[in-house]
Amino acid sequence: MLQYLVQGILLGGLYAIIGIGMSLVFGIMRLTNLAHGDLMILSSYTALTFCELLGGNLILAAILTIITMIIVGFFIQGFLLNNILDKGSEPALLVTFGVSVFLANLLHKIFSADYRGLANSLSNTKVISTPAVSISAMYLFSFLVAILLITGLHLVMQYTNFGRSIRATSDNAMAASLTGVNTKKTYIYAMMLSMGVTAVSGVLIGCTYTFNASVGSSYLIIAFGVVVIGGMGSLVGTLVGGIVLGVAQLLGSYFFGSGVQMLVAYVVLLIVLATRPNGLFARGARK
Amino acid sequence: MKNTTQHLSARKFKKVGKYSALAIILILLATLPLLNNSAYLVSLVTLIMIYMALGQMWNLLGGYAGLLSLGMQAFIGIGGYSLAVLSVDYGMNIFVAVLIGGALSVLFGLAVSPALFKMTGVYFAIGTWVIAEALMIFFSNWSVVKYAKGIMIKTVYHLSGTQIYYIAVVLGIASVLIVFLIMRSKTGLSLMAMRDNPGAAEAMGVKIFSTKLKCYMIACFITGIAGGVMYINLANITPSASISTQWTIAMTFMVIIGGIGTMEGPIIGSVIYVLLTQYLYNFPGSAMIILGAIAVIAIMIMPNGIMGTIHNKTGFEILSPRRTLSPSIKDILRGSASDTNR
Repeated sequence: MLQYLVQGILLGGLYAIIGIGMSLVFGIMRLTNLAHGDLMILSSYTALTFCELLGGNLILAAILTIITMIIVGFFIQGFLLNNILDKGSEPALLVTFGVSVFLANLLHKIFSADYRGLANSLSNTKVISTPAVSISAMYLFSFLVAILLITGLHLVMQYTNFGRSIRATSDNAMAASLTGVNTKKTYIYAMMLSMGVTAVSGVLIGCTYTFNASVGSSYLIIAFGVVVIGGMGSLVGTLVGGIVLGVAQLLGSYFFGSGVQMLVAYVVLLIVLATRPNGLFARGARK
Repeated sequence: MKNTTQHLSARKFKKVGKYSALAIILILLATLPLLNNSAYLVSLVTLIMIYMALGQMWNLLGGYAGLLSLGMQAFIGIGGYSLAVLSVDYGMNIFVAVLIGGALSVLFGLAVSPALFKMTGVYFAIGTWVIAEALMIFFSNWSVVKYAKGIMIKTVYHLSGTQIYYIAVVLGIASVLIVFLIMRSKTGLSLMAMRDNPGAAEAMGVKIFSTKLKCYMIACFITGIAGGVMYINLANITPSASISTQWTIAMTFMVIIGGIGTMEGPIIGSVIYVLLTQYLYNFPGSAMIILGAIAVIAIMIMPNGIMGTIHNKTGFEILSPRRTLSPSIKDILRGSASDTNR
């Protein structure tokens, strides 16, 4: 029981990183990126490919993956989404849905349906190993990365001009553009930032679990769940949201077996959606 | 005055032309298995008809009621499994089983609606999806539906392709007719008012919640039945294939390509979708990549779809949800207007 609880909290950190990327995009563009999960799996595969090319240097591969995904983010926002966002939110949502279908099947075609993983030394190391609790170093590492990322992003958002322009666009795009913020450019930067974080989550997921092309959509639901529970656009909320979902999933596995663990997490998500549609930590009553 | 009569007869002619075109299509559909020996064409039209019903229902929600759902596959699963479990395990007549599937879909829709209708926009979209995913996991762990390994629906083996064809045609035409009648009714007016300005509509006495719920229930019912008919055609069901986002992709693709919020959009969309997927079978593994790319490009170029773009440019539509004034009234109005001008 304690084991499941601790592991659930640490898993929550990993989930929070998946959620941050989506939260950034939603907070600024009011757009739910339905391709988020598949973009994350794309970065897992990119890391895998770089790793194989570089002969197993995972850290360098991770850095190259982050750079690649930032470029991907530039293209997605600059060439696809920026051209469609003016036409209302539904066409943009459906474009991301199309991108999701495209990416998932492209990855399936290239890498086949076999489950792959990123080989690393952390996942076999135990930080704590007692009869009651045993914690993998990988989980702890993900959790620490999550806290670092959230703190870092929070500081950027609060204290830099870049962060201010993003927050201004998020609060009122029209007013922001009147005061000299180039909103389209801000959208591109936000998407690049989001994809950078997504690359980190993709690498961490690849190290922690095995993955194939079709798991993207279940991570999309997790990302969405994290963001909804935490409140769209709230960074600290994503950590709480991740932990709630992670603990729900692992306690579900403890009580009902691993086959239905996601069912429990989904039910928790639905209850939050129905009772607190703005999330547990929404800023004010803004919609 | 002469001008008016000419105008009148032109209108009448247009109307007669429209109805006779519809009649020809209906006669063709009814006699297709007799006229043509090609079983392939019959099976193709069967698929088009089932997908058309799915597309019409998705369009009713997404295009008219403003309820963008990514979880209608839940009802395809319920419909398909009602057919499988009731007819195979309980020896029920397959048509009764399919109808019960529709009823169960409505019940399930009603059960989740209190939670679902608290959400709007993208929350609603993802909420429906999460419910469908949860249902899929539940079915995979449920003994009544034989867990994840699925059911062979042996009871439909004796049906011929022609019989399934007629079932599908009835379903397809019924779905178009239902949406047409809804849009011509007071509910349709309420829906369009809500879509254009929810605040003003509510102030004018449109009951937003109950109107949306009504549409959702109708869509649940027909989608459930379409799921049953789909599995009469497929004859083998598993949780991951029946409650699959594949169906949502199909529904969204059809409606977006055809034209969201138009009556003809899902009809054209279903023809394009079925023909395209049949053609893409020649490229195993790449079909969905191409489909995804086409969808993205189509939305970028014409966000209103084929019918929406044609309608915006020419005002052409076959099944108009709008009621036009009867010609005589229009002419009286026009006449009096020209009188005052003179």
